[in-house]
Amino acid sequence: MASANSADPVAGPPAAPQYLPPSVQGAVKILVTGPFGVGKTTLVGSLSEISPLRTEETMTAASSGVDDLTGRGGKTTTTVALDFGRITLNPRLALYLFGTPGQQRFWPLWDDLSRGALGAIAMVDLRRPDESFDVLGRLEEQQIPFAVAVNTFPDTPSYPEEELRSALDLLPGAPILYCDARDRRAAYDLLIDFVDHLYRTSVLEPQR
Amino acid sequence: MSGGGPVRPYVITGGRSRPTRTELAFESLVVALADRPELPEHALLNREHRRILDLCHSLLSIAEVAAHLGLPLGVVKVLVGDLWDLGAVQVLPPVPQAERLPTTLLEEVLVGLRQLR
Ligand SMILES: Nc1nc2c(ncn2[C@@H]2O[C@H](COP(=O)(O)OP(=O)(O)OP(=O)(O)O)[C@@H](O)[C@H]2O)c(=O)[nH]1
Ligand SMILES: [Mg+2]
Repeated sequence: MASANSADPVAGPPAAPQYLPPSVQGAVKILVTGPFGVGKTTLVGSLSEISPLRTEETMTAASSGVDDLTGRGGKTTTTVALDFGRITLNPRLALYLFGTPGQQRFWPLWDDLSRGALGAIAMVDLRRPDESFDVLGRLEEQQIPFAVAVNTFPDTPSYPEEELRSALDLLPGAPILYCDARDRRAAYDLLIDFVDHLYRTSVLEPQR
Repeated sequence: MSGGGPVRPYVITGGRSRPTRTELAFESLVVALADRPELPEHALLNREHRRILDLCHSLLSIAEVAAHLGLPLGVVKVLVGDLWDLGAVQVLPPVPQAERLPTTLLEEVLVGLRQLR
């Protein structure tokens, strides 16, 4: 498992491969997204049955605006680190959880990542909610089903739900859930509540 | 990790940057076929193809292959696509093929998670 005292839970070489049972026939995925340092890697690590893994995807994007640190304009190629974990749900089906950076400059990667995803958990740190506006807007735009997950840091202020909802400018469809991403049980409850929400939505709106 | 020094994706994939099989996803599952056809020894397979075949004697996702071999995801998609074309691996597609996710699939995920909790 991830070492508790490491600043980066997935640093270092990967452990030996942990193979899926041969009976598994397919996999689904859920994205875990949010701004820098919000707890994505921690949440994936708490949920995963395998030591969380890290991989890289090269991303070519037209550089623009604030994210163009090169000052050259035109095309830039960036390497994006994605960390992910896995849960074998039953002998036939596996679930992958992809920690996906939420900043605007990573959006080109989102097309690939979100295709076929069950949905996304958008983590929010209420000490700096403004950093989540980008990613919440993007999820709504792409019509990816999502829930907001507020991680409870020791100094996280608490707001009444309605206030929070309007501060984050959330549409009524997206639930607000709370968790401590470091705690396995809390992380599982969050994931279950999210999938339960997806399930209910799917039952109620079969034409989505 | 990879042990082969810095990786140059463009070289490994023979200049192609797009998978031949667009339907490969990060969560697609790959397994080398035990009774695979005689593979052409030199022309088509490079060292990275062979590393994938070695690693995938049992089932892993594209993402896991990339992480364990220290290769970028895009590169692994291309290489697995090659192996698939050659009949050397079986690829299990990600489950939701349709635009809309079936309710029964979400129910299966939910039941699984509740049991593991
Ligand atoms: N108290 C508390 N601390 C948390 C929680 N979630 C994450 N942390 C801590 O917050 C820090 C950042 O967490 P990460 O999981 O690395 O965040 P991240 O979103 O993966 O960060 P980047 O990958 O750098 O964007 C770590 O020190 C975690 O231990 C939480 O729910 N409660
Ligand atoms: Mg992280």
